[in-house]
Amino acid sequence: MEEQVGQIWDRLITRVAKQGYAEAAVTLDQVKAPLGVFFRALGGDSALRVTATTATLHKARRNWLQRIAGSGHKVELAWQDETCLYLPVQLDVFPDRQLNRDLYFWLAAMAGARVPAEVHRGVNWIVDNQQRTLHTLRQFQGLHHRYLTLVQAYIALRPEPERLKPEAAALERAIQQALIQPGSVAALPQAGFAPAPVSLWLHPDPPRSAGLLNSDDAQDRNASKGETRQTQQRRRQAERVEKPDEQGFTMGVRHEADLFSFGEFSKMDRGTDEEDDLDQAENIANDIDKMSVAQDNTTVASRIKFDLDLPSEQEDDIPLSEGVLYPEWDFKKNQLLPDQCRIIPMMSRNAVDCELPDHLQKPARRLRRQFESLSARPQWIRGQYEGDKLDLDAYLDYRGGIASSGSAHAGDPRLYYQKRPLIRDMACLLLADLSLSTDAWVNDNHQVIDVIRDSVHLFAESLHASGDQFAIHGFSSRRREHVRFNCIKDFNDNYDAKVRGRIADISPGFYTRMGAAIRHATDLLGKQSAQKKLLLLLTDGKPNDLDRYEGRYGVEDTRKAILEARNQGLIPFCITIDEEANQYLPYLFGHQGYTFIRQAEQLPKRLPQLYMTLTGKLLGG
Amino acid sequence: MSAVTQMDKKDVLPFYEPQGDEIELFMHAYEHKLPVLIKGPTGCGKTRFISYMAEKLNLPLYTVACHDDLSASDLVGRHLIGDGATVWSDGPLTRAVREGGICYLDEVVEARKDTTVVIHPLTDDRRILPIDRTGETLHAPDNFMLVVSYNPGYQNLLKGMKPSTRQRFLSMSFDYLPATAEVEVLINETSLDKGMAQRLVVLANTLRELKDQDLEEGASTRLLVYTATLINTGFDPVKACRAGMIEPLTDDPDIVAGLMELVQAAFGSAEA
Repeated sequence: MEEQVGQIWDRLITRVAKQGYAEAAVTLDQVKAPLGVFFRALGGDSALRVTATTATLHKARRNWLQRIAGSGHKVELAWQDETCLYLPVQLDVFPDRQLNRDLYFWLAAMAGARVPAEVHRGVNWIVDNQQRTLHTLRQFQGLHHRYLTLVQAYIALRPEPERLKPEAAALERAIQQALIQPGSVAALPQAGFAPAPVSLWLHPDPPRSAGLLNSDDAQDRNASKGETRQTQQRRRQAERVEKPDEQGFTMGVRHEADLFSFGEFSKMDRGTDEEDDLDQAENIANDIDKMSVAQDNTTVASRIKFDLDLPSEQEDDIPLSEGVLYPEWDFKKNQLLPDQCRIIPMMSRNAVDCELPDHLQKPARRLRRQFESLSARPQWIRGQYEGDKLDLDAYLDYRGGIASSGSAHAGDPRLYYQKRPLIRDMACLLLADLSLSTDAWVNDNHQVIDVIRDSVHLFAESLHASGDQFAIHGFSSRRREHVRFNCIKDFNDNYDAKVRGRIADISPGFYTRMGAAIRHATDLLGKQSAQKKLLLLLTDGKPNDLDRYEGRYGVEDTRKAILEARNQGLIPFCITIDEEANQYLPYLFGHQGYTFIRQAEQLPKRLPQLYMTLTGKLLGG
Repeated sequence: MSAVTQMDKKDVLPFYEPQGDEIELFMHAYEHKLPVLIKGPTGCGKTRFISYMAEKLNLPLYTVACHDDLSASDLVGRHLIGDGATVWSDGPLTRAVREGGICYLDEVVEARKDTTVVIHPLTDDRRILPIDRTGETLHAPDNFMLVVSYNPGYQNLLKGMKPSTRQRFLSMSFDYLPATAEVEVLINETSLDKGMAQRLVVLANTLRELKDQDLEEGASTRLLVYTATLINTGFDPVKACRAGMIEPLTDDPDIVAGLMELVQAAFGSAEA
């Protein structure tokens, strides 16, 4: 009973104390896509993703209600680092939806505007923000009106200086003046506390080490499982702390001479962590201001990056060679590091020759018929001595020749059209992502890997029927020296029971070092003599690996590999089942260069269709 | 044949804003009877350049807009049925070779493969056009010049130009004009006021940076001129940009929405 009353009180007081207008809230999801375009168009780094931020602690005074409720000490502000543009998950600052929406775009403009370096190095955040505002307004005059409207509405919501204590009032007056006349306030008056956070500005002190707790990969894994809970996407502030002793906690005294608070030290020794209740962990994490993560990069169980052991040599697939070395693109150094990755071609050890699984027989029959007709599509060849119909043009020339020369033998007597089968000069390499994330479940009955396996089966059936040259490979990686390249069907292999056996044997591997795999596939496909060469990538997430190959590093390397493939005249195309794909695939493959299959279980049927559409465009266009 | 247009003779040179030394290069190419290939994105001024050069050199211009059904006989000519007889009719290429002038094959990679057969002998030192159907072999006069163009941007996925063809031409690359020059073009073409022209060019250059990620191609100078024309006749700038520069570039509603925010940021009026 007591507990219940407590809960009701908590809910009530939190709601009363909460500032904001929930009914007018605009969520990031609603504006994310246009916002991203807007941000890039204004000059924002095109490799950045737009993503939700976590609330960060502010040091401003709270009002008495918030203090009673124990809320309001955190605020969501916008900032950017080298991988993402972070924006509040929802904005409910204003009572008017349009204003909240405008605020999103204003924040994106602030973040995106190209500010000269000397402005960027602003001494303090208040000058910095004013300069940014000025600069943004100067570059985009159309924003003037919008900014004024926002400022007017916003100032009305801020505390009135007259009703504050003198110290706070001076501070508040300075802030308001900086908003109304950007550039006019050089420094804030001294005060023992910070002013109330300013929603129109970027984060005064963006959490810098967020990259350490790289939630990119965690997100990938979650996304592939179909979990897209917004809370999981909020970033937690992470700070680097030493890994605790193996024996357990050593409660050191830090220089603040404070004891660790709950927020500062939690679940440090992940080695012994057996927390099962992930939801609870999630809640705790949302409450903690800074989640301290030990250097070995592990957080809640679902986010742990396992350093997977390779199977023993007797059980593992058979390596076909020592491996081939490929370079890797380091975007920070802006150079291609030679011989970084070792691609090891592998052949499945346990594959048993087999026929197509029963449940695929029926769709395969239909696809075969469809694809056979594709290869048999006729083409009319003109100017033949005999053929199926008369070539009127040629006949006219013939008659014309006779008429003008007067001789019956003057013209060219090849007067017929002949029907011939069209030659499809096409080579396709299908590269399937066989990383660990494919171990996830699509629905109650199927795992991603099952879907990929079925897709590859039907794809092979279809292409075999079409007569196009094709190869099928899979890849997964464990750091740069071990990128497995599973050979399923080479261009020279016949499509037979052996190949079907290898398809049936594909299983989830390790991580996704996409760049190296694409480079190797480019080499293989580039050697083919076909006129059109299509490199199809089948994946369920973004590039990642155990080492630094994650986040932006992986994306940039993959992009480089795709550009290289394009320069060699290949046509790269990506098929994904990752719901977050629109966040990074346009940057990798271009807007027209990928397709997202919403329902993964549709993939087996959609893949051959997609191939047909694509090649139809390529050959007919 | 409907794709063929012949420029009317005008006394004044059409307006042309040079990008570099292309005029000089073209003059030299003409003098030494060398064929020219022009590469560049859509609407950056390739066609305008050729018309300008034709005027400047005082040559007739035969422009052929190539499409995927354009065959060799469309270029060379064919027999037509006349009154009780068949009559040979020259194609634009043949006419240009007979009478002298510039034959300009726009977007040449679009044309069927058999067109290369007639192009090749014209582009080396033989400069001949054999016409199988009439048994003639025409020798190009000194004032005949072959010019082809293509847009490497959007074709590279589907069609490229064969190296054997590409290596027969002097090549020059066109790109969008630098901002100041493009402003001049807008003012010259539409007499738009300078401030507005500058803002339009800034917007266009912003859009061009989105190429390959959000957009397939950037906004062309041609689209800019369209938009400027609308604005100059009193149309609301934001709406003009939507019709002239945003909608033509993409069909994706999210991208349109994002770009319209950009247009608002650039042109939003005080009352917006």
